[in-house]
Amino acid sequence: MQDTGKNIIIAGVGGQGILLFSNLLSKFYMKLGYELKISDVIGLGQRGGGVESHFRYSNKPVLSPFIKAGDVDFVISFEQTETLRYLHSLKEDGVVFSSTYELTSTSVNARLEKPMAECKTEMIKRSENKTFIIDPEEHKSPDFNISKMMNVVMLGYYAEFRGYSHDDMIQVVKDNVPAKFIEGNLKAYEKGAAIARAELATKESVSSNC
Amino acid sequence: METGNDIASMQMMNGNEAVARGAFEAGVKVAAGYPGTPSTEVMEYTHQRYSDIYCEWATNEKVAVEVAIGASFAGYRSLALMKTVGLHVAADALGGAAGSQINGGLVLVVSDDVGRLAGDDYNDCRHYGNMFNIPVLEPSDSQDAKDLMVKAFEISEEYSTPVILKTTSVTCKTTSPVKIDENYTYEAKCRDKYPVSFSKVIMTTMMMKAKGSEHPKLTKCFNDFPAHMKRLAEDSNDAGFNKLELNGKKIGVITAGTPYYYAKEVLPEASFLKLGLVMPLPERKIRELAEHVDELYVIEDGHDVIEKNIKDLGISVIGKELWPKFPVMTRFTPDIIEEKLVPDAPKRTPQEGVPFRLPVSCAGCSHLFVSNVLKKHKIKAAADVTCGLIGCFPHMESYSLQKCMGSSISLAHGYNLAKENKENFVAMIGDGGFWATGINGLMNLIYNNGQSTVIIVDNNCLAMTGGQNVASSEFGFNYKPENKLEIAKVCEAVGVKDITTVDPYDIGSLEEAIVNAVNAKTNSVVIVQKPCVTKFKLPKDTPSYIDQEQCVQCRKCINVGCLAIESKKAKDGSVKIVINEDICTGCRLCSTVCHKEAIKN
Repeated sequence: MQDTGKNIIIAGVGGQGILLFSNLLSKFYMKLGYELKISDVIGLGQRGGGVESHFRYSNKPVLSPFIKAGDVDFVISFEQTETLRYLHSLKEDGVVFSSTYELTSTSVNARLEKPMAECKTEMIKRSENKTFIIDPEEHKSPDFNISKMMNVVMLGYYAEFRGYSHDDMIQVVKDNVPAKFIEGNLKAYEKGAAIARAELATKESVSSNC
Repeated sequence: METGNDIASMQMMNGNEAVARGAFEAGVKVAAGYPGTPSTEVMEYTHQRYSDIYCEWATNEKVAVEVAIGASFAGYRSLALMKTVGLHVAADALGGAAGSQINGGLVLVVSDDVGRLAGDDYNDCRHYGNMFNIPVLEPSDSQDAKDLMVKAFEISEEYSTPVILKTTSVTCKTTSPVKIDENYTYEAKCRDKYPVSFSKVIMTTMMMKAKGSEHPKLTKCFNDFPAHMKRLAEDSNDAGFNKLELNGKKIGVITAGTPYYYAKEVLPEASFLKLGLVMPLPERKIRELAEHVDELYVIEDGHDVIEKNIKDLGISVIGKELWPKFPVMTRFTPDIIEEKLVPDAPKRTPQEGVPFRLPVSCAGCSHLFVSNVLKKHKIKAAADVTCGLIGCFPHMESYSLQKCMGSSISLAHGYNLAKENKENFVAMIGDGGFWATGINGLMNLIYNNGQSTVIIVDNNCLAMTGGQNVASSEFGFNYKPENKLEIAKVCEAVGVKDITTVDPYDIGSLEEAIVNAVNAKTNSVVIVQKPCVTKFKLPKDTPSYIDQEQCVQCRKCINVGCLAIESKKAKDGSVKIVINEDICTGCRLCSTVCHKEAIKN
């Protein structure tokens, strides 16, 4: 086992399936025999509040349920305002996966706070970390509702990036998603893996040009 | 790595699941509680997975504790579940049980909302341990939660005392491995030791200066609880749940709960005393650690309870002078410990100007309709603890007064008394708050000739905690249609003069009902009936959209406070008000406030 473990922050807003994402990931890493600790921080209200999941897997028992700022390997975020909240906690070689979806904060809607002046996607891209941006508008499909299934799109994306067995990950999805949603979720998963394949090919060619 | 057999018995559980499993393994027979974030799921898991245990959502926390006390006196292990604000409601019942003879183990599972995640006041249930002289256990992960749950019942019976198992928003919502004995078979444990059990008030009154207090009629009532606690304190020096780890001699840390793991990760060389039992304290172990190290710190979430109790033993420790408590800090993180004790650790600064998220009502929520009618007619009102309290936040400003669960009816009554009914100050309450304690306020209002209007927003469940049943719900652990209580009938029975029931989506009728009730010179109740959109997944209508040609950006619709309506900045910097069609339920509330008819379907 070469990978001794990673610290992941999964972020977004209520209703985006963050807890399902971290649940699927936990099943996958458990099968690989890792120790896990997953801590969910959920704000007030049934919908629309910020949700963050601190996901840690390791070949040794995990101590702190919260990941210290500076120790995060991956930020996986389904909402780009939330992405910005966690950028500072990444390691130098940490990687960001972020959807461009945005749910305007209540405080901005109510004019208690000003909207951020700069384009958030650009701010994320400009960070010193390696970033992968997924625009749900760009990848809309008649086969599944991407706004509902961005979590599983991201799971496919992440699995491709990590070089994991898609068969194993898809099995985890099949085992843990209600039967009537499996078909749509598998389409979403494949989409995510396909986007990642295309993106990784360009990134690699870009870096080889430098 | 674990062997195959061990893996088979290891399960990933969050703290709530682990507490439920602990209750099962302890042989609990009766579980009663009241929902409260973050520990609500303890009851739900117990009911789903361990059907041998009788479960009920009681009408409030005091009732839940009393049910558990009764079951415990009957000889069976019983638990009461609540969050710390709920224990304030149940404190009188707990005070009665404290110091009295215990038959079946009696454990209160109480959760502190460290970090104020659900927006509660900053509470710490361990104060009840000090006040009532009862033990408090505090787990730091799921394995600990399961083990200490079993231990709590043993302590309760061995030392004849109710026990608090304190969890937090972090332990409840953290998933970690738990070792499960697959061969365990459930058996309800029973211990019928004492024929009587009286609160210490009765007991001491009978004993006080009584001649012949050695008479068996009196001694059978007597429970020397201070002696039990002293014995527990002494025994806790050798108990496995208080773990002394003597390592480096520079830094020593006394800690409990998840802060143990934060500190352990940041200070791997330090010596530790990890307390599983935080009340009473193991004095010998504390002194041993104090002598071993140069600097002794207390790292605990919540208030400085352990710290004060240690200082009372005459042992000097560093705690809140280094880490000031609320409002400077709401809970520990590894970062906070590192900042103070690891001087050369790199500093990380969060991105500036990322806007915060206030709570918002779900699209289509009946509370939004009520809030907007009150605002439109400038009716002053008190909110209760309900999803409707979101209407108190600055983006809504529908209410001017809000306090605790079930309070709004009495708050309005008091206000109207003082203002001699000149202002028609209205109470808004949910069905949960109404049954919890609001009904007492209503009875009080009636027989004291109050003239207030009460709006009861009945969404058929306790929505804020995820949709648990209340007395008027059409579902529940022990639901039988013939036992369902009717809010309207109860209001009528207690003597409310004017009762109207409306569907909020019929906004004209809602407006009329509220305005009429407010203007009537009598007490009145308006029952606003619509099941919770989120819990019951109500069918959606065609989503609305904003015709940008007609929109003048007056922002009246955005001030409705619906999650689906957003202010969006386009790439060219222009701002548009838009409706998120994935979220919109098509309830049309926003179109009633638009003067330009810009909101369409």
